[in-house]
Amino acid sequence: MRIIVILGRVLDPRGIVVNPRAGRIFVNREEYILQPADRCALEAALRIKEAVGAEVVVLPRTFLPDDDILRQALAVGADRAIYIMGKPVALPDDGLMARVLLAAIERLGGADLILTGATTLDTGQGQLGPRLAEALGWPQIVGAWTAEVADGSVRAVRQDGGNYVWVESPLPAVVTFAPGALKLRYPDGRRLINIYKGAGEIADALERWEAKDLVAPEALTPMLERRGQDFPPERERGVRLSGSLEEVARAAADALRARLPR
Amino acid sequence: MDASFLDLLMAQQEEVAEAEGGGGIWVVADVVDGAIAPVTLEAIGAARNLAGALGAYVYAVLLGDGVSDLAATLYQAGADGVRVADHPALASFAVEPYLEVLVNLFQAEGPEVILFGATPQGQELAPRVAQRLGGGLIEHATAMTLDEATRTVQAAVPIYGGEYFEIVASPQARPQVLTIEPGAFPVPFMDPYRKGEPKSIEVTPVEPRVRVLGPAEGFTPPSVPLAQAPVIVAAGRQAGDFGLVERLAAALGGRVAGDRGARDAGWIGPEQIIDIRGVTVAPKVYVAVGIRGDTFHNAAIENARFILAIHPDPTVPIFRVADLCVEADPKEILPALLHALGA
Repeated sequence: MRIIVILGRVLDPRGIVVNPRAGRIFVNREEYILQPADRCALEAALRIKEAVGAEVVVLPRTFLPDDDILRQALAVGADRAIYIMGKPVALPDDGLMARVLLAAIERLGGADLILTGATTLDTGQGQLGPRLAEALGWPQIVGAWTAEVADGSVRAVRQDGGNYVWVESPLPAVVTFAPGALKLRYPDGRRLINIYKGAGEIADALERWEAKDLVAPEALTPMLERRGQDFPPERERGVRLSGSLEEVARAAADALRARLPR
Repeated sequence: MDASFLDLLMAQQEEVAEAEGGGGIWVVADVVDGAIAPVTLEAIGAARNLAGALGAYVYAVLLGDGVSDLAATLYQAGADGVRVADHPALASFAVEPYLEVLVNLFQAEGPEVILFGATPQGQELAPRVAQRLGGGLIEHATAMTLDEATRTVQAAVPIYGGEYFEIVASPQARPQVLTIEPGAFPVPFMDPYRKGEPKSIEVTPVEPRVRVLGPAEGFTPPSVPLAQAPVIVAAGRQAGDFGLVERLAAALGGRVAGDRGARDAGWIGPEQIIDIRGVTVAPKVYVAVGIRGDTFHNAAIENARFILAIHPDPTVPIFRVADLCVEADPKEILPALLHALGA
């Protein structure tokens, strides 16, 4: 059984400051972390591998300037990682990456399960998993909290309205994970050292492929184009609510409702 | 002239006729608890604005079982045409049956723009529709403008949950598929005189491949650390009744925390102290109940997206950092606030 995990990285939001008045984003500390939802997908793959046995192959969700997150994935237990080299694009472009990843999956000889994050921390995009499912003609489970494989099918817990339900899909399938669903384990110290030193068997697990060898040049044209940035209005602090107790309570309740996460 | 004649006249004038020749802006409706979801109406309103500049018609697609009567709402919101796929096989949302209907329809109609709500249904369907039709997909649009020269929709998408926005377009790919963030666009004026005759879509039932097995008994999602909680209700020494604070947190789906005063009062544990020497937080909503707001506390909440502060003393420092300030005794305002929240 082969499980493909698609991983991305994101600039740690704790290192950036957005100044709406200046219309600028200041990067105080440029540190990249694994996309939180993708981390959960990796952990789910490793748990399935431990439970039923599988080869876990890691692919990147964008063209990356370095292979650091793939090395991190190998350190926690992935068997193989493919660093796909291509021209980095201004914005994550899942339509473009779906073409590249499809070709990569074909070159790998297919898969039984594709796991990735249901959303990205920065852009909130969740289209990569469903796009791959559609291109491969596979079923999809979006926003899983946990998953297990048995008898040729994958079972997962998914949110349905305010409740959690078990759903089941035949394999092969695409499952995307909700951020925070599973906690990624710590890396094995010796594997980590060997991966970064390029020593031992695990050092050979990281392969480098060129995107231009996978798809035709016209397929590498981005689908999305970045046309600028916009900033929310500057925050007005210290606005006092006035009126009767009921009026103030109603105004405060409306303000809270409008800002609660959906 | 009596009013009923006027009504009749206006109703006749607003009978909507459909255009021939395909294209147009299409909105895929979300039905929640037997009614059209607000995000669908918002999407139709946004589509109408685009349609004016684009010179296109707005169509809505309604899928479900026993949903035909809801077409009237879509016309009232501004749709020029409505297609209805009303079939028992579409009673509850599943990807394959819904996708089959939509792809067949869009392949026949050749839409220029397709809008979905950024809801669980829209987020599952939109990428698959875009992939099947070779379209570009922009997710979570909060504003839309039109590049008239190339008939390209430019959308603002929130980055890091709205810290800033990237303006994005898919100029080469057609159709242009977008998901609309709920609440980002105004609900359009519902014109009761706007009417039309919806067209039925023939449905060939398709078996969904993902089966719902039943409730996940005993499953509880992992708890989010306080530092990452999206909603926090924090108490201070002036909170008065901590039970009300807990009820407010439950009503907002948030976590309970406090400042050092709340810890001294024995209401919270040391791991719940919001302070730069304790936990630094960045929630979407932070409610400070009876917290004075000393320097250490206020520094720990500076990344909160929205702060509501409640305190009886108008001179407390928390009011300088809060977005919304309520000068009141928490014991009096909290019951009224809970009532207003329907809790």
